Amino acid sequence: MTSKIINMAERIKDAQDRLLESMFDAAPIADDGFSERVVRRIRRKLLIRRLTLPAAVIAGGVVAFKPAAELLAAAYKVLLGMPDDLVAAATGNLPSLQLIVTGGVILLATLLSLNMLEE
Amino acid sequence: MTRSEDHQLVARAVARQDAAAFGELVRRHQSQVRNFLRKLTGDIATADDMSQDCFMHAWDKLHTFSGRGSFIGWLLKVAYTTFLQSKRKSKRYAEILEQVGHVSEAESRTYTVQSHEVSDLDKLLAVLTEEERAIMIMSYACGLSHREISDATEMPVGTVKSVIFRGKEKIRTSFDIKDHQHG
Repeated sequence: MTSKIINMAERIKDAQDRLLESMFDAAPIADDGFSERVVRRIRRKLLIRRLTLPAAVIAGGVVAFKPAAELLAAAYKVLLGMPDDLVAAATGNLPSLQLIVTGGVILLATLLSLNMLEE
Repeated sequence: MTRSEDHQLVARAVARQDAAAFGELVRRHQSQVRNFLRKLTGDIATADDMSQDCFMHAWDKLHTFSGRGSFIGWLLKVAYTTFLQSKRKSKRYAEILEQVGHVSEAESRTYTVQSHEVSDLDKLLAVLTEEERAIMIMSYACGLSHREISDATEMPVGTVKSVIFRGKEKIRTSFDIKDHQHG
């Protein structure tokens, strides 16, 4: 009720209000490609945002490739320098390839399902 | 152009990051936003640049629109904030120019705004402070209610009313408005 009274009071206009309204009144501004320019800027922004993560991953991969390769080579050398029976014992305890592949597929399927659920 | 259509478009733009839905909102409201900023700045090119920035800010902050009031009210709040931010930036820029001795350049920027053709409305707005000008434009040019202006400017409704009253008084005394009354 109170808000209705306030709204009514707002609508009561004196001569000065009407004069001001007529002075402030302006013809609508034609779009003339304005909204298209805004949408283009937004699409560019969205594209940049979408490309940022893959670009960062690629850049990071390129930067990390050389040290990672060196690390693998060093690990391989260490492995070669180890006694044969120790290496045989360690590899005997590793899970089989079939188990690794099955585990990987289950993990991937779980991640995909979670992603679909989230969407 | 209904309020619920605006709200549906906002929901679509937010949920799907739908630039086309937001584009429709821009098409619907660009005229009012540009008009508001043109009157506030007194310069068409500056106002149009500012309007683009305003819509970019609106896109970034669209998820904060609660849907409680009108979308145009919320949009004009973003426009007013954009205007104030831009003014602060150009003030800092002028201060830096002044510090390094480029006073004439800082002055010429002000002159550019003042050198446009002066209309009756420009004369009328010139007697008001920046805050009064913004509120009077929101009220008389954009047709916002006192409540909507209060939301847009983050001022209490009572303060909005007194600013409008003060603005009207200033205009009345400066232009002897009684002589031009009609209706």
